[in-house]
Amino acid sequence: MAAMRARHKIRAPRRGLNAAKTDDFDSLWTVLSSSLTEIHTKNASTLSFEELYRNAYRIVLMMRGDDLYESVKKLEKDWLRDTVQKRITDSISSSLVRAQESTDIQDQSEERRAAGEKFMGVLKEAWEDHQLCMGMITDVLMYMDRIISTDKSKPSIYIVSMGLFRDYVLRAPVRPDSPITVADVLESTVLFMISLERVGHIIERPLIRHCISMLEGLYESEKEEGEKLYLSTFEPAFIKTSKEFYQAEGRRLLEIGDATTFCRISSQRITEEQERCLSTLAMMTEPKVLEVLDNELIRKNIDEVVMLEGTGVRHMLDHNLLEGLRSVYSLNARVDPKKDSLARVVNKRIVELGKEINASSIVVAQAAQPTKDAKDAKDAGTEKKEKGKEKEKPVNQQTLSAIQWVDDILALKRQFDTVWEQSFLSDQGLQSSIMASFANFINMNPRSSEYLSLFFDENLKKGIKGKTESEVDTLLDNGITLLRYIKDKDLFETYYKKHLSRRLLMKRSASTDAERQMISKMKMEVGNQFTQRIEAMFKDMTVSEDLTANYKSHIARSADPDQKPVDLEINVLTSTMWPMEIMANTKDGVVQLPCIFPREIENLKQSFEKFYLDKHSGRKLSWQAGMGTADIRATFKRSNGKVQKHEINVSTYMMVILLLFNDLPDGKSLSFEEIEERTRIPKNDLIRNLQSLALVAKTRILRKSPMSREINPADRFSFNHEFQSPFVKVRIGVVAGAKVEDQEQRKETEKKMADERGGSIEAAIVRIMKQRKKLTHSQLMTETLTQLSTRFVPDVSMVKKRIESLIDREYLERLSEEPPTYGYVA
Amino acid sequence: MADSTSEYVTLVSCDGFEFILPRSTACISGTIRRMLDPASKFSEALTGRCVLETLTGVVLEKVCEYFFYNEKHKDQANVPDMDIPPELCLELLMAADYLDT
Repeated sequence: MAAMRARHKIRAPRRGLNAAKTDDFDSLWTVLSSSLTEIHTKNASTLSFEELYRNAYRIVLMMRGDDLYESVKKLEKDWLRDTVQKRITDSISSSLVRAQESTDIQDQSEERRAAGEKFMGVLKEAWEDHQLCMGMITDVLMYMDRIISTDKSKPSIYIVSMGLFRDYVLRAPVRPDSPITVADVLESTVLFMISLERVGHIIERPLIRHCISMLEGLYESEKEEGEKLYLSTFEPAFIKTSKEFYQAEGRRLLEIGDATTFCRISSQRITEEQERCLSTLAMMTEPKVLEVLDNELIRKNIDEVVMLEGTGVRHMLDHNLLEGLRSVYSLNARVDPKKDSLARVVNKRIVELGKEINASSIVVAQAAQPTKDAKDAKDAGTEKKEKGKEKEKPVNQQTLSAIQWVDDILALKRQFDTVWEQSFLSDQGLQSSIMASFANFINMNPRSSEYLSLFFDENLKKGIKGKTESEVDTLLDNGITLLRYIKDKDLFETYYKKHLSRRLLMKRSASTDAERQMISKMKMEVGNQFTQRIEAMFKDMTVSEDLTANYKSHIARSADPDQKPVDLEINVLTSTMWPMEIMANTKDGVVQLPCIFPREIENLKQSFEKFYLDKHSGRKLSWQAGMGTADIRATFKRSNGKVQKHEINVSTYMMVILLLFNDLPDGKSLSFEEIEERTRIPKNDLIRNLQSLALVAKTRILRKSPMSREINPADRFSFNHEFQSPFVKVRIGVVAGAKVEDQEQRKETEKKMADERGGSIEAAIVRIMKQRKKLTHSQLMTETLTQLSTRFVPDVSMVKKRIESLIDREYLERLSEEPPTYGYVA
Repeated sequence: MADSTSEYVTLVSCDGFEFILPRSTACISGTIRRMLDPASKFSEALTGRCVLETLTGVVLEKVCEYFFYNEKHKDQANVPDMDIPPELCLELLMAADYLDT
C-alpha cells in the first residue's frame, strides 16, 4: 500500500507538468513577477518564501527555466531603468553637474559638498536596496539558479542583476541628453570630498566608503574575473588627482623652505593616506597612492629639502636635531634604500667639520706666540710645561693640538654616532658611508698617525690615572676606532713604538695593564703582525728586570766592600724591535763617539758588560745614555753655612754633567764647550739637558752666566748652592724634545717609512709570485694592494718601481709585453 | 508569534502535520535556511513557520529524521546507514532536490 502511494505521488506532478505547460508558466510568472516587484518595494513580509520558491521550482520543472531567467532579467532591467535610475538622477543637483563640467570650483564647495553628500546618500541607499532585494530574489530563485546557471554556464541571476545596476544606473546619463554618467558624477564627487579632506575639512567617510565598496563590488563584465569597476575607473582617477595634489604640495612646502616642516607634513601625509585608504577607500590602493606620494612629494624634493639653506640636514646636524634627522631619514629611506641624498650631505658635513678640525690643529700648531691656548696648555700641562719658557711653548702647544685634534674627532664621532643610532636607526649603509667620510678627512691630515699615537701616549702616561677600568677601556676603544680609519697603519706603528719606547724606558707608563690592554686591542683590530714588535718590546722589558735582579745578586756576591755601590737598573733591548732613531748613534752619517761616563759609572758599565757577555757570548751592547735616568744625592751648602740635601732624579746625561761639578772646586765654572768636550754628549741633548738644569726656575741647580734664555757655546755654568725646593726629592725632567716632530724629523721618518714600505712591498710581491708563478701586471698590482691594505695604502708608482727592481735582481722575469706578464724565477 | 530569531521553528506539511525542531537542525536544508534568513523579510522568516506545500507528512517526517541524523553524525566517519523504506525512496529524492539538502 505504501509503495503504491509512493509511486502514485511521484507520477502525479509529472503528469501535471506535461499537461499544463504553457498555461501554467504564464500564470505562475504573473504571480512571481508581481511578488518580485513587491520585494523591490519592500513589501516582502506579506509574501511566502515557500510559495515563490515553489512557483519557481515548478517553472523550472516545466523545462521553462530559461524563460524564467530571461523574464526576471527583463523585470530587473525595467525596474532599474524606470524607477531607480530616476531616483538617482533626481538626486543629482544641477550644481553637481555644473561642477562636473568645470572641475576647479572651490568657491561653491559648501553647496557642492551638501549636494554631493545627498547624491551619495541616495546612491548608497539604492545600491543597498538593490543588493538586499537581489539577495532575496536570488534566494527565491535558488532552484532556477542551481539548474540553469550551472548547467548552461550562465552567470547567476544575482551577478546579472548587479551588471544591470551598473549598466542602467551607474552608466545612465545624468540628464537625458548629457554625456555625463552617474558614475562620472560619483567619481568627481568622491575626489572632491577627498580633496576637501586633504585641505583639512572633515568629510563623511563611511558614506564614501560605501560608495567605494559598491564600485569594488561591481565588475567591468559579467564574468567575475573581469576587472573591478573600482580598479578600472575610480582608482586611476584618484591616483591622478593625488599625483597632481602632491606635486603642488611639494612645491608649496619647498616654498615654505623649512626642512623640518617638510618632513613633518610629509610624514603626516603618509599617515593620512594610509588612514584614508583604510577608512574611506580600499586597502589595495594604499601601496599605489603611497608610491605616488613617495615619487611626487618625496623623491622629487628630497634632494632640495636635504640641501635647504639654514634648515636642511646640515642645520640639523649642527644643532643636533635628532627628531628632524630621523624624519629626513625615514622619508629618504622610503624612496631610496641607499639613502643617497642624505648620505651625501652627512658625508659632506663630516668632511667639512673634519677639515675644520684639521685646519685648527695646524693653526694651533703654528701659532708660536702665547695665546689663550698657551694658557690652556699650562693648565693642562705636565711638569715640563710648568718649566715652560717661551721656547717650549710651541712644542707643547703642538702636542696639545695633536691631542686636541684626536679629542675633537672623537667628539665629532660621538656626535655622529648618536645621530646614527637615534635618527638613522643604525642603518648599515649610512654607517659605512659615515665611516668612509671619517677615514677620508682623517687621512687628509698627513700627521694623523702621529697625532693618534700621541693621544695614546698622553693617556697612557697620565690620562688614565684615577679612572676606572671601564673608563680606560672606553678611552682606548675610542682611540682604536680612529686607528681603524687610518690608512697608513705602518706609520702609526712606527710612532707608537717610538712613544712606547719612551714610556717604557723613562718609566712614564701609568699602568702596564693598560698598555697590555691596548696591545691586545690593537691586535684584534689590525692583526698579529702589527703588534709583534710591540710585544717584543714588552718582552725585552721583562727580561731586563730579571737581568737587573740577577746582576744585583751577582754584585752582592762578588762585591768589593770599599766600592761605593751604585744601583744599576738596566734594560737590554733588541735593536731590531725598538725604534731605530732612539738607538741611533749616528746622525747624518757621522758616528758619534759614545759619551764619556764619569769614573764610577764607567766601572759599573764595565762590570755589567762583563757580567752580561759572560752569560750571552757574541752579543754587542751599546749604551744608550740618552734614554736613562739616575737618582743622585746632592748636597747644597747654603751661604749661611747650613747644609741642605736633596735627592735628585735626573736623566743620565744630567747626571754626567752634574758629576763634572763634583770634581770642581766651589765657585768655579765650566763653559759649554768644556762640558761638551768632557762628556761628549751630543750637542742637541746637551743643550736640552742644560736648559733643564740652568733655565727652569724650579730646578735651577746650575747657574749660567750670562743669564739669558738661549744656551750659547760661550756660556759658563757653575753649581748653584742656593737651590731651593720644598721637597727632598726633586725630579728634573729633560726639556722634551719636540714631541710632535719638526719638519726635519718628519722628513726623516717619512724616508724611513718609505724604505720600510719598499721592503714590505717587495716581500708581498715575491710572496704572491711564488705562489702564482705567473701573473699579469694588473693582477699582480691588485693582489699586492689587497695584501698590503691592512697596513698602508701603497703608492702605485712605488709598487711599479719595486717590480722593476725585482726584475733587475732576477727574482722575476718578464714573460710577455701584451698584456704585460711576469713570471717567478725560482 | 515566534520571532525571527527564536530557537525553534515549525515545519508544516501539505496535509497539516507540524514538526517543531531546532532552527539549526532545520537549516541543514538550503531552501529552509534561505526561507528563514532573518535578513530577508519573507513571512516565514518573520513567523518561524514554514508551510511546505510539496511535502506530505510522511515524507516530511522522514526528512526531519534525516536532519537529526545528519546533525548527529556530522563530521564523523563510519556512520551507520539510515533506514529508508524503499517505497519512500523516490519521494525523498524529490524532496531532497526541492529542499536543497
